[in-house]
Amino acid sequence: MISIKKITKKYGSDYYALKDVSLDIQSGEFVSLVGQSGTGKTTLVKLIIAEEKPTSGRIIIGGWDITKIESYEIPYLRRQIGVVFQDFKLLPKMTVYENVAFALQTCGAKKRKITDTVPQVLKIVGLDNKMDRYPHQLSGGEQQRVVIARSLVHRPKLLIADEPTGNLDSINTKEIIDLLLKINEIGTTVLLVTHNREVVNNLKKRVITIDNGEIVSDQERGRYLL
Amino acid sequence: MVRSFLIKKEVDIYYNYFFVAMFFIDIYRAFKFAWQSFWRNFWLSIVTITIISLALISVSLLLSFNLITANVLDIVQARTEIYIDLTDQAKTAQIDFLVNELNRVPDIKEVVYVTPDQTLERFKATYQDNELVIQSLESLGTNPFTGSLRIKVQEIDQFPVLLEEISKPEYSEILEIDNAEFYQARDLITSISSYSDKIEGFGFGISIFFILISVIVVFNTIQMGIYSHREEIGIMKLVGASNWFVRAPFLIEGVLYSVVAILIVLILFYPIAALIQPHLDNFLGEYTLDLVQSINQNIWLVLALEIGIAMFITVVSSFLATRRYLKV
Ligand SMILES: Nc1ncnc2c1ncn2[C@@H]1O[C@H](COP(=O)(O)OP(=O)(O)O)[C@@H](O)[C@H]1O
Ligand SMILES: [Mg+2]
Repeated sequence: MISIKKITKKYGSDYYALKDVSLDIQSGEFVSLVGQSGTGKTTLVKLIIAEEKPTSGRIIIGGWDITKIESYEIPYLRRQIGVVFQDFKLLPKMTVYENVAFALQTCGAKKRKITDTVPQVLKIVGLDNKMDRYPHQLSGGEQQRVVIARSLVHRPKLLIADEPTGNLDSINTKEIIDLLLKINEIGTTVLLVTHNREVVNNLKKRVITIDNGEIVSDQERGRYLL
Repeated sequence: MVRSFLIKKEVDIYYNYFFVAMFFIDIYRAFKFAWQSFWRNFWLSIVTITIISLALISVSLLLSFNLITANVLDIVQARTEIYIDLTDQAKTAQIDFLVNELNRVPDIKEVVYVTPDQTLERFKATYQDNELVIQSLESLGTNPFTGSLRIKVQEIDQFPVLLEEISKPEYSEILEIDNAEFYQARDLITSISSYSDKIEGFGFGISIFFILISVIVVFNTIQMGIYSHREEIGIMKLVGASNWFVRAPFLIEGVLYSVVAILIVLILFYPIAALIQPHLDNFLGEYTLDLVQSINQNIWLVLALEIGIAMFITVVSSFLATRRYLKV
């Protein structure tokens, strides 16, 4: 699914955000990427969705070498990867339904496809009964679930969640992690970026630990090391 | 039931195929967006439209000026006809010979012999309202005019050639040459051309200046629009909106500004023309031009120019702004 080969990412002339990182993720896996703040986790996510270009190395996603992707091809890549960022919020003037529909509209989907898909993904995240609410009428966990629903509209084979529980209390955090597990179970590869020790230790799934831009451990059924 | 990742080529045939159709369906969305931005930054929109209008007005004035000078030059140019008097000694055979000779010169379009009677008629017609002249002519009792040659050249610039031709010594006893009339017309043209070149250069400079300012202002307006929509744009890009889809609303916003500016200029044109017309008549006298009429005659040119300039301004600036700030 994801094959990263000797990736280095420099910012400026001498700051290495990532150094010689290699990793492979198979279809259907649930992988946690952990590490302290500022160690290059988000940088890795940005490389995978082609928001940044690597300084050296190769990135192959689903057989598609995106190392030198053209800018007009990027939208096609993004439609196949669901992304949840901590800071990519909902649009406050749109309802839950409209926020999710927006992702399809802006990709030019037909009306029919929108009216079919939006209720489906909202059902997956358990918010099909709150479609007409505005974001401020939802809890933090519910808002994040809408964001996840939005990331699912293109039926991605890969879902990347970068610190999706960063602002949430432990009950909401558990809800979100359970939702990600459920999404993984219906066949989506999940890459979860987190520094929540409890979450990682409870998951008992593969854990990749990154420190100072380098992978320091990669374990099946791993634990939070740092 | 693990789904494998699609590879690039199988992807989104659906979207590609329908892209064009969907763009037009969603033009409604883009218009709605542009309309909202217009009202959100009302004063900025007004400034933007004003500056585009100024650019269009300066271009229109330049065009009108062009039409006016072309008209004046046309009128002067058309006077490529000149009368040269024959002396009393000229005999019919000599006159015929001369007419033949001159007709053979390539730059000369036509040479016609005008009899003294014809000249008299023409003189009387010209001064029919001036009784004093008519009376003193009648008091003479005879026809005071000699025969003359009416010569037409192809272009007013060719008068010197004509002059050289008729100045040949063999014609000197049958022609009475007065150079003044030639040079008057030619000098008039030269001076009109040089003045109009200067004014046109100035008008051109002003137009370029306003066009550049407009590009900067529109660029700035679009940039602010992008800034106030940055969250929406971020989401759009993250979920895979095509680059044109992200860009289109801003391009259409720019187009909307220019359409409004064009309408304003077209509405303002007729009152402005009516205001200028009397001054133009005063200044140009017999060479004057009916502004409204000549713009109406050239309406397609005018529209094409206005639309062309307005589109140039908005498309260039919104294209640059979206490219710079949307990183598409
Ligand atoms: N656009 C950028 N320009 C310069 N430095 C950056 C940029 N983005 C990230 N960095 C730096 O790269 C390092 C890794 O950042 P990031 O990948 O966001 O870390 P993490 O997500 O693990 O907290 C940080 O030190 C950050 O300051
Ligand atoms: Mg981060």
